[in-house]
Amino acid sequence: MRKINLIAIILSLSLPVVRGTVEEKLPAYEPVSGVFGNLNSVGSDSLNILMTLWAESFRAFYPNVHIQIEGKGSSTAPPALIEGTAQLGPMSREMKSLEIDAFEYAFGYKPTQVSVSIDALAVFAHKDNPIEGLTMQQVDSIFSNTFKAGGTPIDRWGQVNLKGRWEDRSISLYGRNSASGTYGFFKKVALKKGDYRASVKEQPGSSTVVQGVAVDLFGLGYSGIGHKTSGVKVLTLGDNRDLLVEPSLENCLSGVYPLARLHYIYINKRPSESIDTLSYEFLRFVLSREGQEIVVEAGYFPLPASVAAKTFASLQ
Amino acid sequence: MKNQSQSHHRTLERFQVSRRIGWFDRFMNHFIVVGGLMVIAAVMGIFVFIFLQVAPLFHGAEVKLLSRHKLTDTVDSVVAVDLDEWGELPVLIQKDGSLRYRDLKGDRGIIENGQVFQAGETLSSIHYNSLNRLLVAGSNSGRFAYAKVGYRPEYDSLSVRTVHPDVTRSDWFDLSGKGERILFVDYGEGDSNKLAVGICLDSEGYRHVRAVSLEQDLSLFGEGGKISLGARFDLTEAIDQAIQQIDVAPDGGLVLIVAENGEVFVFFNQGGKLELGQRFEPFGDLPDRRVGGADFLLGDTSAVFTGWEGENRVYSLSLDRDKGKRLYARTKEFEPMPELPEGYFPGVRNNSFLLVGNHHASLRFSTTESIRWQRNFEFEIIRGLIGEKYDRLGFLDRTGTFHLFHLRDPHPQAGLRAFLGKVRYEGQAEPDYVWQSTGGTDDFEPKLSLVPLIIGSLKGTLYAMLFAAPIALLGALYTSQFLHPKWRDHVKPTMEIMASLPSVVLGFMAALWLAPLLDTRVPSLLLVLLGVPCATLACNWCWGQLPHRVRTSIPAGLEFLLLSPIILITCILCWKAGPLAEEILFVVTNPETGERVADFRLWWPEFTGATYTQRNSLVVGFMMGFAVIPVIFSIAEDSLSNVPKSLRSGSLALGASRWQTAVNIVLPTASPGIISALLIGISRALGETMIVVMATGNTPLKDFNIFSGMRALSANIVVEFPQAPFQGTLYRTLFLGALTLFIMTFIINTMAEVLRQHLRNRYKAVR
Repeated sequence: MRKINLIAIILSLSLPVVRGTVEEKLPAYEPVSGVFGNLNSVGSDSLNILMTLWAESFRAFYPNVHIQIEGKGSSTAPPALIEGTAQLGPMSREMKSLEIDAFEYAFGYKPTQVSVSIDALAVFAHKDNPIEGLTMQQVDSIFSNTFKAGGTPIDRWGQVNLKGRWEDRSISLYGRNSASGTYGFFKKVALKKGDYRASVKEQPGSSTVVQGVAVDLFGLGYSGIGHKTSGVKVLTLGDNRDLLVEPSLENCLSGVYPLARLHYIYINKRPSESIDTLSYEFLRFVLSREGQEIVVEAGYFPLPASVAAKTFASLQ
Repeated sequence: MKNQSQSHHRTLERFQVSRRIGWFDRFMNHFIVVGGLMVIAAVMGIFVFIFLQVAPLFHGAEVKLLSRHKLTDTVDSVVAVDLDEWGELPVLIQKDGSLRYRDLKGDRGIIENGQVFQAGETLSSIHYNSLNRLLVAGSNSGRFAYAKVGYRPEYDSLSVRTVHPDVTRSDWFDLSGKGERILFVDYGEGDSNKLAVGICLDSEGYRHVRAVSLEQDLSLFGEGGKISLGARFDLTEAIDQAIQQIDVAPDGGLVLIVAENGEVFVFFNQGGKLELGQRFEPFGDLPDRRVGGADFLLGDTSAVFTGWEGENRVYSLSLDRDKGKRLYARTKEFEPMPELPEGYFPGVRNNSFLLVGNHHASLRFSTTESIRWQRNFEFEIIRGLIGEKYDRLGFLDRTGTFHLFHLRDPHPQAGLRAFLGKVRYEGQAEPDYVWQSTGGTDDFEPKLSLVPLIIGSLKGTLYAMLFAAPIALLGALYTSQFLHPKWRDHVKPTMEIMASLPSVVLGFMAALWLAPLLDTRVPSLLLVLLGVPCATLACNWCWGQLPHRVRTSIPAGLEFLLLSPIILITCILCWKAGPLAEEILFVVTNPETGERVADFRLWWPEFTGATYTQRNSLVVGFMMGFAVIPVIFSIAEDSLSNVPKSLRSGSLALGASRWQTAVNIVLPTASPGIISALLIGISRALGETMIVVMATGNTPLKDFNIFSGMRALSANIVVEFPQAPFQGTLYRTLFLGALTLFIMTFIINTMAEVLRQHLRNRYKAVR
């Protein structure tokens, strides 16, 4: 019996529930000569895994390239780009106007945005929690104190139709810290630009949210799908009670899954000049077939070939 | 004589130091004085630096004239004036739907853009929405179209920017459906809603309020599909008053219809329906109830109303708990304008808005309910604008001249009221102290109340000290007065090793090990806290009952060897008995099913009304206690050991027992040192950061409930600093938090120092 369990665990680890595939049309990466130097990246924590994997594979092509990656939250990317401490600013949300203003004040032009992968935010519950899914209005009622989706406050598991020992338990909320793009994206989409409750526990990293929920039986938290572990379950979401869907590539692309978003890398590109070779090659690698295969490996979704080609074209 | 002088010389020689040592002595004297002064200067320097960082938060707005340009000769045809984000290319929007630009930077002069809308329709109404830069036109045949009045920068080979007009227009959509003439139409579009509402005049001269929603599929990559007509609504029946004004929210989520008698009808666009959700009178309590003007503030939640006497109020949507839906309620009341407000111009970067009336202009900020700037001009203002980056103000006067001002107001959200007062923010049902500094969008209202953070800091310190102070002080007393000297020499270094544990490690342990462990075992912990002192006292009593011969068989100072196993066993027993105690004491009965559940986590909210969370102050108090105990212990033990031996010996010789000596002689004499120990412990706990960051959820709550989390001032700086733009409002507010922490420790230190001096004077005699 125990052996079977073990096999099941190994299987479930090697086959994540949701996975996209890389389109054949994406061009393979071909290395060029004369690429060397230091590349610094400061920004999103959600993108940390991806950036690390990309950097490793990129260095396999160019051993003379040194890449440093720091990921404390999307809001750390704009200051780093402005101060010149980083050439790459990975962000899991779009830059806000104030950040663009500050960049433009320093350089006289706006930063350039490159979409690099597709992510789905997931709402996680403890693995023993019987709940299957939530509507977006329920999510807003649970996490916000402004109730912009039109619902009324939900504090206990009983209010989302759980029975028995769950009924009277209050929902213990986990979320990201405010520096994170995940925080901002969830606030914008799930809370309809409303405010979080003061009782949402702000965690410093995407994976600490998942860890927190995994050790808290009555916990509920949001984080990137790539950070899922075996201690938690991913809830299905939707606008409508009868149409709750899981975060898969198709559901994200079609917009049925409400919490799909793009990951970006921001760079400082003078409008009249081309970007430096190192950053250019790195981004070319990221948008190539190899780069997008790494996206799948990290648990996120790859860009469709047409979008990758268009993004790449905007760099030239 | 000679002899005498020789001997005198000899004595001098005896005391004279070599020249080298003398120099060194003098040098060191000055060196130490200079060093001391430098330390004081450094502390003052830090204080001044923090103060300089904080001061700009409390400055008002500065407005300076940049330029004056003649834009037109006839202002009668002007609908609105707008400006690009760089302040280089103002545009006049005219009634016939044409745009007239004026290049302020280059030499392009006036640029006429001609008709924006497609030919083939006769314009019958035109309206400009400055919040989303949409120009909306209605036609004689009942159709409407909109155009985005945008700008596009172009860069030459030297990266020098030239701004060009960039106008995109929509197709014509049928609003009336019956070919009626449109008298007025407004349109708003957000991610999920697109809504147009207008007044149509039918051939028999009746007016109809008609609305139509548009539909478009948006992909993840922001590429919109084709726009098609959606549902059509007729609102005429629902409005039983003469209509004065129609305002569609910029996100298309609702429409405000202002009636001439001062009533406002709110129609909500939700779930494919457009229904009357609320009727209210913004100035219902005043003698003149009529509404002068109404428009939206950035963020689609608040609406600004002006009255006929210059009154100015802001109404925001918030959840009405009785009705179970979001309704408008008054949130702000501004000082009235000295002149009747004729124009309202919202900012697109924050919650600022500009009111103009005749010669008067007033820049106001909704969140803090403050007037940032106001002035009476010599010219008559007919239109105004706030620059897109909140760095320009523009006014168009009666003669067609455009006055462009530079606006410098970097911290409109700041102010004492925002930091320490209760504020009713957009969307919230009542005024409150809230900390929520960052949002995902531009229209977010930063909430910067320091009150929850100050409470958090005090709460963490309180629980840490509750746990640490008794243990550390009693430990120090025992170690210095009762413990066998051989053991004493080991205890102190061990405690000091404990102090060297990095607080990150303690915080990590608290978050991932202690919090889940204590989550289910609170009753066990309570039993341990109760059981250990009881067992110790009982044990001591028994020990006292034993014959003298038995008691002396154990050397003084080693009694603890007997006590330790008993305490250990008590701990284990109490820990194991916890679930049993829970079964008996902490039982909650479900009123519906009658089912009885024994769980402390349910009992606590039921019994006290406060919440219970896993990451709570108990965990923090416990772990922070570990960080504070060695500090207090070490200083208190020093001062207890330094009590002169003569005092102790005297007391013992006069027949006082060891306990009497310790409590009545040693403790009072050492009290100044003990106060210092406690004070340093409090300062350490107040400033402790990593444990609080990791062990709590950093929830900015405002209660002293031991089973809920908190956010301390120090933790807040760590959590928020990476995202705070250099010299931005948040950056400076974090410095204000640091200053507050500085002042708090300063007050505590001063209080304790006064107390210490008092005690020292009192016990000076015995020393």
